[in-house]
Amino acid sequence: MRTAAALAAAALLATGLTACGGGGESGAPTLKWYVYHEPSGAFAEAAAACTKAAGGKYSIKPVDLPNNADEQREQLVRRLAAHDGSIDIIGMDVIWTAEFAEAGWIKPFPASEADAVSKGRLKPAVKSGTFQHKLFAAPFNSNAEMLWYRTDLTKDPPKTWNDVLTQAAALRKAGKPDQILGQGQRYEGLVVWFTSLLESAGGHVLSADGTKVSLKQGPTEKALRIMRDISRSPSTPANFATAREDDGRLAWEKGGAAFMTNYSFVWPSANTNAPDIAKNMRWARFPAVDAGTPSKVAIGGFNLGVGGYSKHPDLAFQAVSCLVGEKNQIVNATKGGLLPVSQSLYDNKELTDATTDATVDGKTVKVRSFPYADVIKQELADAVVRPQTPYYNDVSLAIARTLHPTKGIDPAKDAKRLRDAVTRALKGEGLL
Amino acid sequence: MTAAAMDAAGTGTNAAAVSGTHRAPRERIFWGVGIAIVIGYALIPIAWIISLSLKPADEITNGKFFPTHPTGANFTAIRHDPQFPSALRNSLGIALIATVLAVSLATFAAYAIVRLDFPGKALVLSGALAIAMFPPVAIIGPLFNMWRSFHLFDTWPGLIIPYMTFTLPMAIWTLSAFFREIPWDLDKAARVDGATPLQAFRKIIAPLAAPGMFTSAILVFIFAWNDFLFATALTSTDRARTVPAAITFFTGSSQFDFPTGQIAAASVVVTVPIVVMVLIFQRRIVAGLTSGAVKG
Amino acid sequence: MTAIPATGGVELARTGETKPEATPRVAMTSRARSERKLGWMLCAPAVTVMLLVTAYPIGYAIWLSLQRYDLRFPNDHAFVGLRNYGAVLGNSLWWQDLTNTLVITVLSVVIELVLGFLLAFVMHRAIFGRAVVRSSVLVPYGIITVVAAFAWRFAFDPTTGFVNGLLGTNRSWFTERWSSYFVIIFTEVWKTTPFMSLLLLAGFTLVPNDAVDAARVDGAGAYQRLRYIIIPLMKPAILVALLFRTLDAFRIFDTIYVQTRGAQDTESVSIIGYQTLISRLNLGLGSAVSVLIFACVLIIAFAFVKGFGTNLAQQRGESP
Repeated sequence: MRTAAALAAAALLATGLTACGGGGESGAPTLKWYVYHEPSGAFAEAAAACTKAAGGKYSIKPVDLPNNADEQREQLVRRLAAHDGSIDIIGMDVIWTAEFAEAGWIKPFPASEADAVSKGRLKPAVKSGTFQHKLFAAPFNSNAEMLWYRTDLTKDPPKTWNDVLTQAAALRKAGKPDQILGQGQRYEGLVVWFTSLLESAGGHVLSADGTKVSLKQGPTEKALRIMRDISRSPSTPANFATAREDDGRLAWEKGGAAFMTNYSFVWPSANTNAPDIAKNMRWARFPAVDAGTPSKVAIGGFNLGVGGYSKHPDLAFQAVSCLVGEKNQIVNATKGGLLPVSQSLYDNKELTDATTDATVDGKTVKVRSFPYADVIKQELADAVVRPQTPYYNDVSLAIARTLHPTKGIDPAKDAKRLRDAVTRALKGEGLL
Repeated sequence: MTAAAMDAAGTGTNAAAVSGTHRAPRERIFWGVGIAIVIGYALIPIAWIISLSLKPADEITNGKFFPTHPTGANFTAIRHDPQFPSALRNSLGIALIATVLAVSLATFAAYAIVRLDFPGKALVLSGALAIAMFPPVAIIGPLFNMWRSFHLFDTWPGLIIPYMTFTLPMAIWTLSAFFREIPWDLDKAARVDGATPLQAFRKIIAPLAAPGMFTSAILVFIFAWNDFLFATALTSTDRARTVPAAITFFTGSSQFDFPTGQIAAASVVVTVPIVVMVLIFQRRIVAGLTSGAVKG
Repeated sequence: MTAIPATGGVELARTGETKPEATPRVAMTSRARSERKLGWMLCAPAVTVMLLVTAYPIGYAIWLSLQRYDLRFPNDHAFVGLRNYGAVLGNSLWWQDLTNTLVITVLSVVIELVLGFLLAFVMHRAIFGRAVVRSSVLVPYGIITVVAAFAWRFAFDPTTGFVNGLLGTNRSWFTERWSSYFVIIFTEVWKTTPFMSLLLLAGFTLVPNDAVDAARVDGAGAYQRLRYIIIPLMKPAILVALLFRTLDAFRIFDTIYVQTRGAQDTESVSIIGYQTLISRLNLGLGSAVSVLIFACVLIIAFAFVKGFGTNLAQQRGESP
């Protein structure tokens, strides 16, 4: 009857709607590259260049993901868990490798391609793409936080976190801008900070094989004490517990800050939005925990993996090899400000002499794009990889949840709580 | 609390309103202030989000309510945003289809409940009521797992089906309340006067039933337009992602940038149609909400 | 509407008015039977959909909650009995989140009830401008929750917002627990008070004006009129509004997701459910959370019905 007809119509509609979206594939396959939206167009340019280089074998189409890494992961894992065969190439945050590899969501690189994409690359970057001695993700771009400071306030940049605190206190006393900016919100950025501090203090989150908790009391307490002291410093803004990278940038450009740990994106931004501050803005290695022991920062950036359910894995591996090539790394750097993963490029003239346009007093001036290349090259060479375990997401949640808000940290007690939480996370049990 | 009672309350013909003309000016001032407060309460956030959407990038953080140099830049940005235009399309399409389906199914059920005598009628009504109280978060896991095997994940039907389900109770209750007010005997009378059943239906019953169906359609649409939980859990690309989910995934000008202005602009774009609709159909929505409706 | 041709006959059987005295019993039962069949047929699609999309998944959730079932470890599924429930109930986080949710629920519903009552009163008794008031009140109802949450988040944010300027403070609202709660509850109250007030407005129409006027003539003060005349008469409407808003507030998700993501100990049970299911893809553990949330809702609904001694279905549906 009509009811039945209406139901049938609904069902028809449903199937009709499901059916579209697949699309017929004829001729050269289109490889879909899921990656965050890169506003300068560098990724699109790389995709076009590699499509052209493939000479009709395949074409690459970037598909946008959100900006925030947590949200990118959420989007991706839902599709991958649904065995989505349309995901050919994945732009992966360096922390996802183990989880994706274990679940079969990405494929290991064949030996020949693995060699090609790891030769001459930063060691920590390659390590971040490796799981159980196999390369699952090719290093694509890299990143690490540095300490940003101002020459009009600080002549001699702080070497350690204690220096940061004492210098800020002195500036405060003198009535000068003294703010310390960092990332204190409950999210991955907090885990980056904690990992960098812990590794600089000589500790590790997990055992070397990634199966057991490490978090030795001594280094953990040391790291936690610094987190607490920074959070409680009168120079740290009141909104620290909700501050992310971009909150730091905005506050920096307002001029009230003396020190900031942040990624390199703040440099072009300050040159455009706050040239007066940018002209005195300098960079230094991420502060150390102990004077005399250089800091070890948690490496950031993106790797490229090949989707576990891709219909064209062989072509996808070829495409990845092309996308991560040095030519594209230079485009990413000069156009998008993304740091390369090939060590030699940090001394390459194309990169060190690259300039960006910035507007100062209505006039366009050239500003060097990577004046900090030397410092970051050193940092990246010594960088550490965040814990490599299929449970990384749970471990990260456990760390951020246990330590937030950082103001309230009790180093001795929280070191133990942290160990318990991470142990639970490694079992995949319990709420986090 | 029938629909008719509500309409009477809404037309402003009750005793208070009539006797109001004799009241003292002081009372008029009292009500004037009260009304002004209510309007401010409702509209300040709207004004705020609009003014935020008009602020250029360097005014976003100035802490002022109004923009000094209004600009349409944020609106241009979202028009070229990689996901917003398709999200808008998805939102409209999914909400409209869910509305049509939910209202159709609910019409059959409500008609049967009001006009027919059959065992299980009370069960349908109370079952619907139970579903209205149902916590959607309790089924997103199973739905996600089912959709992934039925290939409904990240598709329009994947959202239409839960929206339809969660709005059916509201639609059934609202429509039942409206249908009870329809003088069904008119249909019989018309046919005695020589009208064919179809004519009687078209000329007499349909016009009487239409307002109720329209009202429940508005309520269903608002629910589907508003939903965030299903939209974020059951979609992952611009193929089916709706506006509420897309807004929270907006991308800024760098990997770390937070796009306040664009979120505000997108908010304005999706709020304006609802506000206009609400203003035009104010009486119907009030009648629907108060006639036995259940918020989803 | 499709059933119109059948209506005449059905109407006869139903009202019995025009039914000839001598109609044989057999005909009546066959009519009743066909009416019954038609009724079921018309309800069937709606009922099927509702059962398929709620009852079946809940059953599935119960089954999942008894398994070790993590999509990240596709080869590691096993029946674990009640272990997931043990893991949830034995974790202080669940109790913390449940408390948070209840605090937000109770506070926002109580505030909404008071404000909604005032709003309904304005709408009911205002001597002019009633249409304007009702239209503007509907704006918060119609606006997308995510948008409302963003609007207030930006308003309270110390860098973008105007609230600090307005109050002359310099507070970072989302960095402390109580102030985060304040903003979340404020947003919820702003968004849903109109709904509450409309349900209460329906209740006001149950209060005959002459009863109130008579009490006034008898010398009853405003409070007495409210306490002894208006509230008792409005009780059914108040209870319905309370029940629906309580259950609605209990599943709070959008506002918290947008404003704090659960930081500063503002996490609700829906957020942790979402987190476990969708972000961690631990369907076994997450389903245990889901089932527990479902149980909480049942308990709340049951408590309302028992505690207030009302049959809601009766309240809502006028006898046909």
